[in-house]
Amino acid sequence: MSDYIKPIVFAAVLSIVCSSLLTLASTGLKEYQLKNIALDKQKNILKSVGLIQEDRAPAQDTIGRLYADSIRRMWVDTGGKLVSEKQKGPHDLSVYLHVKDGAVQSYIIPVDSRGLWGRILGYLAMKNDGTTVSGFTVYSHSETPGLGGEIEKSWFQKNFAGKKILDDQGNLVSITVAKGKVKERITDKRQQNFVDGISGATLTGKFLSEGLKLTLIEYEPLSEKFRKNRTK
Amino acid sequence: MKITRTKAFKVFFKPIWESNPVSGQILGICSALAVTVQLKTAIVMGLALTFVLAFSNFLISLMRNIIPRNIRIIAELTIIATLVIFADQVLKAFLYDISKQLSIFVGLIITNCIILARAETYALGNPPLLSLLDGIGNGLGYSQILITVGILRELFGAGKLLGFQVVPETFYTAGYQNMGFMVLAPGAFIAIGLIVWLQNTVSKE
Repeated sequence: MSDYIKPIVFAAVLSIVCSSLLTLASTGLKEYQLKNIALDKQKNILKSVGLIQEDRAPAQDTIGRLYADSIRRMWVDTGGKLVSEKQKGPHDLSVYLHVKDGAVQSYIIPVDSRGLWGRILGYLAMKNDGTTVSGFTVYSHSETPGLGGEIEKSWFQKNFAGKKILDDQGNLVSITVAKGKVKERITDKRQQNFVDGISGATLTGKFLSEGLKLTLIEYEPLSEKFRKNRTK
Repeated sequence: MKITRTKAFKVFFKPIWESNPVSGQILGICSALAVTVQLKTAIVMGLALTFVLAFSNFLISLMRNIIPRNIRIIAELTIIATLVIFADQVLKAFLYDISKQLSIFVGLIITNCIILARAETYALGNPPLLSLLDGIGNGLGYSQILITVGILRELFGAGKLLGFQVVPETFYTAGYQNMGFMVLAPGAFIAIGLIVWLQNTVSKE
């Protein structure tokens, strides 16, 4: 009988000891991790509007200062009007503004898209004409490294700069991740709405395209205001 | 007795070169290909694996007489997984950027064959201190290969070491180009292949 009980008792004790140690470590380190995550988000927002570059990341306090100087967090109500935190309603969407000399240079939309293995979180920065993409970054994903994981690399993200979310008739078409290179696959007229895809990661591209489109439809009232220059 | 003849010395130094886990036993190749694009990530990965391997060997060896035979692999993996998650949490708290670059590969240390192989073949049959030395030795053997490959790939692939420009600007103006191939996984495959070849040729003599 004890032959059956010993392994069970051993396994139970081992699991309890290991899991309590891990809980301890995780709660103890949580504060540092959250700080890192917050800083990383700020870095990504700054990167999406081109205030810092991928390969020359500045020191932590510089990031904090740059962020405080040039980024404002606002909310968008259902009519596309920008409101401050105090006035925001329960369904209002979060948006970040890149402000320079009192004028809005670009607005940064948080992207929360489905991916192949998990959520893809990032930022899509739009210029103040409401049509042109200024930059795109990803700060959290669980795609396969080397395949879908390439969405976090700068070669992929650089493609987004300068692309348009409207087609030549002025309809919202969002940005689509092409299968392969845009220059080879897409007709001239539509190249401005597509970015180069990642080989071996067709599904990641498909989900990300869908996610971007849904997000942009949600924020369309705001984009429209920017296009007509009536944000104030 | 000379120190080089002691058992502890052999246990520690043999895996660093002679029976190196990567180039001698061809274990742990997956992560060696994935994290060696830059020297920095290679060093951190080497340290993380050495930490996990040293403590998993030590703890499993301490418990070797009370671990029930029929669930020993489960027990070993529980200990290994605990250590790996702990290492991952520490990296996320203090080396966030590197931890992001290493992404899933720190978590994948759990399935790294080197660790289970050392637990099964060494820690289960040897006293704790020798197992600890064996763990550190094997960890350093793995790190040594990773660092060598990391240096080769970062130097030839990007002209840098640890992020600092090493290849001078005059080389580039004279027509020198970075080998883009070294940045890709096949570059690491060839680098490791060359190290295995070197290892085999040298140890045969």
